Amino acid sequence: MIASPPPPALLMTPDERRRWLLSLWRYAVPALISALMMVLMLAPLPLPVPAMPNLALLAVLAWVMLQPALMPPWLAFVVGALGDLLFGMPLGVNATLFAVAAGSIRLLDLLLVDRSHLVDWLGASLLVLACALATGPLMALAGRPVPVLPMLWQVLTSMIAWPLLLSACVAVQRRLARSAPSWRHG
Amino acid sequence: MLDWSQSPRRPTAIRREQNLALVSAVVSGAVVAAGLILLLVARVNPETGAGVRAVASDLVAPVWDVVRAPIDGAARVGGHVGDYFGAVSRADALEAELNKANARLRIARAQARELAQLKRLMAVREPGRQVVATARIAAATSGGVVRTAMLAVGMADGVTRDLPVIAADGLIGRTVEAGSHSARVLLLTDAQSRVPVIVERTGQAGLAAGRGLPSLVLADRIGPEVPLLVGDRIVTSGDGGVFPPGVLVGVVTDPRRDAPVIRLAASPLGAGYVAVERAWLPIPDTAPKGPVFDAPVPVEARRRGAPPPRLRSAETPPTAVPASPAGVP
Repeated sequence: MIASPPPPALLMTPDERRRWLLSLWRYAVPALISALMMVLMLAPLPLPVPAMPNLALLAVLAWVMLQPALMPPWLAFVVGALGDLLFGMPLGVNATLFAVAAGSIRLLDLLLVDRSHLVDWLGASLLVLACALATGPLMALAGRPVPVLPMLWQVLTSMIAWPLLLSACVAVQRRLARSAPSWRHG
Repeated sequence: MLDWSQSPRRPTAIRREQNLALVSAVVSGAVVAAGLILLLVARVNPETGAGVRAVASDLVAPVWDVVRAPIDGAARVGGHVGDYFGAVSRADALEAELNKANARLRIARAQARELAQLKRLMAVREPGRQVVATARIAAATSGGVVRTAMLAVGMADGVTRDLPVIAADGLIGRTVEAGSHSARVLLLTDAQSRVPVIVERTGQAGLAAGRGLPSLVLADRIGPEVPLLVGDRIVTSGDGGVFPPGVLVGVVTDPRRDAPVIRLAASPLGAGYVAVERAWLPIPDTAPKGPVFDAPVPVEARRRGAPPPRLRSAETPPTAVPASPAGVP
């Protein structure tokens, strides 16, 4: 838990209330890290093909797996809308895809409760592939048809990047959980 | 297991959990529906959110412009370390000389064609090229389905939309959005990019179309169908008024009859500087001017931003008077 649930607000002491207010930023960490990954994807790599991994989508998926309550589909929608703004795409393409991807990980959580890392990896790879393929119809819906086959490069690099990104997110979660404030009632 | 919510114990808590799950499902569905509606809005009006987009790139482009400087420096140092001493510098000098000679030859070839056209035309007035701003590519969407780049210059430096962006080696693209301190460049490789070009050897005109790949295709060729050769240079034609004529776009690598493939001359995402130039010909004024009538615009409408009246007497008279319909004298 990167932010432990506080005691009921009416039962808080003033000190507890202050500590709770000061620890509210922890709830925003998954969204902030996903947004940071979106900015990181704008690095001007001297590559002829779109080989930059889809770090933002991977971060959203990782956080839906690690902290489902802190990355609901509507927050994934906001992260995706930020990506649309930064990438100069029609507003709504990445937003819709990210929200649907976050929702599908929730469904996967319901179907397969106790699953291995390999299944996670496979699921994330399939979702990244599905998002890359679904970009074409959505861009066409927005009136700007694009070829999506070059995006398979990105799917490949994203599959390679998944374990690295997931371990980074787990490290962040560990560090936050270690420093989470504890309350009197447990 | 790491879920933040507490495990419910009492029946009311269980009911609340169920209600929350229902609400979250409804919210998720609404969010996806909102995304699709946004896409439809973008289809009807592609300028949706242009202001917000400009603000976002204004925030990000300067950051990347600063962040990438040490990376470029390190890359350059690495490149210098790899060089040998004597032979390489001599080879570099020879290569530079060859480049210079080639450039002169290119100019001469272009001038010969120009001269032939001038002899035919006798009276030609050409606008000049003018650099608006020079900048480095600050950020690029190498992870997206669109091929754009950001420059850390914007309206404050005189950069607006629809200006050509040209590097030392050739054409890069054109600006499509401008914030106050950032501009978005549509690269030649984007699927939306179409550049009017001519084949330098034959003078055949066409469009260099991007397709999301590192190379372009030469589409919509018009004029006499002379077969292309590998190595034919493709330069801008100056049609359309954005790109100045004679800027190198690329070289033909696959001269197929249906879709010749062009390799780009300038790598858009290298560490080089690019120049934003003025549009070759000014874009005609297409702003709505309001109806032509003799009555003055009411003061209330003027206060609400209505354009001033265009009086019939002030309009240029039409060259040919349309024939009056039958029955009307």
